[in-house]
Amino acid sequence: MRSGQMIFDAINNPLERFQQECVGNLMECALTADSAASARQLAKVLQSLPEGETFVQDDPALRRLIEQAAPARAIRWSSQGAPGEASQATVTLAEALIAQTGSILVTSACGGRGASVIAPCHIVYATVAQLVPDLATALSRVSQERKLDSNSFACVISGSSRTADIEKILVQGAHGPRRLVVILQTAT
Amino acid sequence: MKCKVSLFVPCFVDQLLPEVAVDTVKVLRRIGCAVEFPEDQTCCGQPALNTGYWGDARPCAEHLVRVFKNADFVVCPSGSCVSVIRLFYPELLAHSSLREDAAALASRTFEFSEFLVKVVAVTQVGAIFPHSVTYHASCHGLRELKLRDEPLQLLRQVDGLKLIEMVRSEECCGFGGTFAVKFADISAAMGTSKAESVAATGAEFVTATDPSCLMHLQGILGKRGAPTRTIYLASILAQDGLAQKSSAQERP
Amino acid sequence: MSQTAAQRFLQDAAVKSADLVHREIIRRGMESYDVAHLKGRARIKDWEAAREKCQEIKREAINHLDRYLLQFEEKVIARGGHVFWAANSEEACTYVKNVATRLGVRTVVKSKSMVTEEIQLSPVLEKAGIKVWETDLGEFIVQLREEPPYHIVTPAMHLNRGQIAKLFREKLDPAIDSDDPVYLMAAARRILRQAFFAAEMGISGANFLVADAGVIAISTNEGNGRLCTSIPRIHVVVTGIEKVIPRLEDLAVLWPVLATSGTGQGITTYGTLIGGPRRPGEVDGAEEFHVVLVDNGRSQLLADAEQREVLHCIRCGACLNICPVFRHVGGHTYGTTYPGPIGSVLTPHLNGIKEFKHLSYASSLCGACTSVCPVKIDLAHHLLQNRRNATEAGATSSSERLIFRAWRYAMLRPRMYALGGWSVRKALRIIYGLGLAGSILDPMRVWNRYRSPVPLPSESFRARWRKDLGAN
Repeated sequence: MRSGQMIFDAINNPLERFQQECVGNLMECALTADSAASARQLAKVLQSLPEGETFVQDDPALRRLIEQAAPARAIRWSSQGAPGEASQATVTLAEALIAQTGSILVTSACGGRGASVIAPCHIVYATVAQLVPDLATALSRVSQERKLDSNSFACVISGSSRTADIEKILVQGAHGPRRLVVILQTAT
Repeated sequence: MKCKVSLFVPCFVDQLLPEVAVDTVKVLRRIGCAVEFPEDQTCCGQPALNTGYWGDARPCAEHLVRVFKNADFVVCPSGSCVSVIRLFYPELLAHSSLREDAAALASRTFEFSEFLVKVVAVTQVGAIFPHSVTYHASCHGLRELKLRDEPLQLLRQVDGLKLIEMVRSEECCGFGGTFAVKFADISAAMGTSKAESVAATGAEFVTATDPSCLMHLQGILGKRGAPTRTIYLASILAQDGLAQKSSAQERP
Repeated sequence: MSQTAAQRFLQDAAVKSADLVHREIIRRGMESYDVAHLKGRARIKDWEAAREKCQEIKREAINHLDRYLLQFEEKVIARGGHVFWAANSEEACTYVKNVATRLGVRTVVKSKSMVTEEIQLSPVLEKAGIKVWETDLGEFIVQLREEPPYHIVTPAMHLNRGQIAKLFREKLDPAIDSDDPVYLMAAARRILRQAFFAAEMGISGANFLVADAGVIAISTNEGNGRLCTSIPRIHVVVTGIEKVIPRLEDLAVLWPVLATSGTGQGITTYGTLIGGPRRPGEVDGAEEFHVVLVDNGRSQLLADAEQREVLHCIRCGACLNICPVFRHVGGHTYGTTYPGPIGSVLTPHLNGIKEFKHLSYASSLCGACTSVCPVKIDLAHHLLQNRRNATEAGATSSSERLIFRAWRYAMLRPRMYALGGWSVRKALRIIYGLGLAGSILDPMRVWNRYRSPVPLPSESFRARWRKDLGAN
């Protein structure tokens, strides 16, 4: 094995790379300056969705965000139980964002396993400080912080669900969300 | 004299496609090599090796090693036979008393186009062939001997030759030795796909580094009544504009 | 009298080889893969270094399989999960069936797992009165058609949208009136969603078993694997023992390589890691977590130092996609769980060399598979070694053995070889001269069935040499 071989290109501008990968992954990435702007963005996304329950990870940051966004929708908090089958959207935090592949890393602590897959729209509220350059960094952090001992589940999500099982034609939105929206706040 | 070459002629070339070897000798001599043909040679052992009869392949390989023991350079007009000697003799003869001779032979054995381009460092051999030609990248030469450019470098220097690239040039033609008979339907289907790729180029001729590919393809093309004819690489290079019998395979 | 696997293969191959409609469907599918794959490769700066790294990881894992499997097991058990070591298909199926019946399972949702195909798990569960839903779209389709998957990554690539629409109309809902893939996926989603929420048990495979973290890793795109492992209260993982890798960080290169080779993606949409049942305080997740480690002949291959690298396979499907034999006969012709080059190499080891050696012979040894394997398994070489093993095991016909004995005798005697060649040419000339090419008297009749006869030269090269080529 040739030592020191760079298998992947170096990531010089993680934010730019993340945004580029989001486009390729058919994910939406909305850059916001502060929590007020993030709240406005959240309200906008929720307004575009059909009527129905929104499941939100019960976390102080999301409590504040929902309060600021004040959406006219029924909210089910994760402390009340798992998202319902008819949820139209879920809102969660992430453990990290990965620039190399345009991914979000979630664990069971981010509202549970179903939170990132049950509803047709999954919204992630994250900050630029959470961005790591590559998979290697993200996974080594998971190991070091023993995230898989404190969580029974983790997932690296790189886009909306899709399939190409029919004639190899890409269909966006299979069993998981059709929309994955990242509200990426520059200020912490 | 540039060098002394011992010619290794694959058994099926010797018996069925002698012009392949005749033209190989012609080109080697034209570029200044002395060519000898050790008459005790028979076969590299590939049929037995490929069918799994290594116990029968082994003595055959040892015979070949003995025949070419004192050769400076062994040149063979077949990528697959050369890959047997270079890549498989070490494993086949790992416990043979001749394993060191086999290793030595492997280091001195070359496929025809790689010998010209890499050993003699010659690409211009004074050939004239004013026809359109497409190139099939025979598998063993391509993947085992890592031939990529050598045959094309030679073809590009041929006066009047128009080289047309075919799609999927690296896809197997379907010969595969006994595969052509044991799995005749699959072999023919693969050959037909290759024939279609050839036909799509509109080229008059198709060439390759393995005459076995060409023998199989000519049969498929002939059955379809297709106009394209197969011609071994050396047979193109042997054409020097002088009146001579065409050594392209005749259709029966 | 029933057919042997080899006879069935030849028959199916003959039919498929002549099926131009089938060939065109496969060609189009593979062309689409080729384009995507090249794009994916371009994302990786040094593809050869990536392959070497993956080979290194798998080699370390396979060469210390016992150690890593035990490490994995220990962590899973510490978290309250169960690990069952199944020696064979029967043990694996019995275990899963017992878990299901003990817990009153009536409905199972399954995400894609080639190992569950291998052990034929679904029929065992169905016989116990349990309804099994395949939830991967391709697997769902072939399940409705009651046929095995056509390809290990894209199970329904042999079908067009019209066929799928008709299938859905007949088997699912007569109101299905469009063959648009978006519409068909939506229909499948509607139906399977009910199953996800009703099922008591979810069964998944695993792409990797991560030893140091003690988790399974599953790579999916559709989200069905996510739902199978999030909603039902029991999660059962069925996996081959060879899936283990040493470290979580190994996924940093294995995930992109698997995705690139499998579909041309930079990474699969969902890279899921699960290490046990739900922990106290977690919102959801299975209450019981079982990992069934399937041997089924793998440890025998592991013991074979020469061929153990075959266990490095990460089931990406790249070798199937490039194989010209696969492209002409398709996945069903092989008649085995694993088709294509990896199947042709592996099946004689898992299912017996006598019955399945023909798969290792059904190849022109072109080497394309070796050139694309992301973990650098020398598949073509293993096909050759399988052939050698077959003859040494006495699994080949006595007539063939005799032929090569005679061949060897002749090849060691140059004059006999030359005379033999001359005789054959003479005989053929007579036979062709009598217009009997292709007849029962023609020894080249199989060749001549599909090809115009090889023109016979009047003399061999060595005769020409002796006559007038000797002088330099």
